[in-house]
Amino acid sequence: MEKSYFDKVHTWGRVWSVTALCVMLCVPLFICLRYDAWPPLQGVIKGLISVIPLYWATAVVEVTCYAPMLGAGGMYLSFVTGNISNLKLPCALSAMESAKVKPNTQEGEVITTIAVAVSAIVTTVIIAAGVVLFTPVLPLITAPDSVFAPAFQQIIPALFGALGAGYFIKHWRISVIPIVVGVVVLYFAPNTVVGIMIPVTVAVSLAGAHIMYKKKII
Amino acid sequence: MNFKDSPFMYFLAAVIIAFVLVQSVFFLAKAWKQGKKIGIDIKVMRDAVVSSTLFTIAPAIAIVATVITLAYSLGFVLPWIRLSVIGNITYEATAAEAALNSFGNNLSQPVDDETTFAAVAWVMTIGSVFPLVLIPLFLKKLQKKVDSEVKTNAKWADTMSAAAFIGLIAAFIARAVAGAGDKATIGDGAGVLSVIALVVSVAVMLILQKLCIKYKLERFDAFTMPLSMICGMAAVMLFARILPESIAFLEWRG
Repeated sequence: MEKSYFDKVHTWGRVWSVTALCVMLCVPLFICLRYDAWPPLQGVIKGLISVIPLYWATAVVEVTCYAPMLGAGGMYLSFVTGNISNLKLPCALSAMESAKVKPNTQEGEVITTIAVAVSAIVTTVIIAAGVVLFTPVLPLITAPDSVFAPAFQQIIPALFGALGAGYFIKHWRISVIPIVVGVVVLYFAPNTVVGIMIPVTVAVSLAGAHIMYKKKII
Repeated sequence: MNFKDSPFMYFLAAVIIAFVLVQSVFFLAKAWKQGKKIGIDIKVMRDAVVSSTLFTIAPAIAIVATVITLAYSLGFVLPWIRLSVIGNITYEATAAEAALNSFGNNLSQPVDDETTFAAVAWVMTIGSVFPLVLIPLFLKKLQKKVDSEVKTNAKWADTMSAAAFIGLIAAFIARAVAGAGDKATIGDGAGVLSVIALVVSVAVMLILQKLCIKYKLERFDAFTMPLSMICGMAAVMLFARILPESIAFLEWRG
């Protein structure tokens, strides 16, 4: 039974991913057709050269790192709807923590898929409502001198602080090394982007946990 | 109405939004049905829905803010489309800027010709679609490997899974403590406000968890995380008002 559900998720996921790929490529194609505007290939390639090495490498790292955490359904859905590290992943981790289920189990698979799907629906609705209804008001809320502006700038620390607290208490021995290493790396290279920091701290955390496990410290 | 926010562009956005919603509802329905089949309590699944909704609201508003930032140059609709599929805050702005630079333009100037606009759409799209090629090809194999590790060595797999989460969270925590931000954006680098957000959300989360255990508030458990995040953000608003500006907006890493 378990196998058949996972197999079905992979079949649905593959169909949706390939369809999403085609739908997404249709957007620039239809813009070109509708406006009869065909940008020079050289210009597009020049733009792509500056983003592809980093973003395609990040894609490989993200797919590898997130696969054990997000489950099959959560992965297929997250990588179509985007905003993974800042939204879908914390949402899925929070839902698993609250439901007291573990990743790579049938229950974990169900809960992460529900969390990611709900998050994708809510995000899509809020962005659509924001663009259509609140366009005149939102610049006031998010303007640099707005009372809300500092809070919006600190969403990520607030989000990962809330998420991290539970893990740090339960697994404080594992937590110390990756945080210290992360801070030390940023002390010497403060401009390192999070996309590069994640594989570093994940690798350090895994290595530290593996050694502690072997030495029976945890 | 110019070409960037034309009815045609709104039509494209509507198709994309419909696609994302249908796919999400499809997976939600399948997971819900499977959850019932394997005996997960409906209350647990309902709590996951409510807590995920609450968790999403604030970051989603931040995404709308990104749409608005990009809208000055690209109009509302293209950033809206890009941030609804695959897109993410950091990627889209960078990709748009790279594409505009190759045409001698940048995000602080409105794009006024269709050709540059189309080029930006191509760069933003092609740059971000790679996971949609990787996942259908490799995800099943990758997860089978993880699955076999879990089955052969459950305790080790549990530990490694927790370690992977912690490693991921550590990257963001470290950035809030010691990372430099975009020099042009106040509050983007590590400083007083980022540490306040971090410390308050951690503290509130620990207190709420203790209270939930002490008073057996299991029903409330699902709300502790979104509530802690909102408290962290509220504390930032408060301290930004009451502390002297030179202290509140101090960023030690620039």
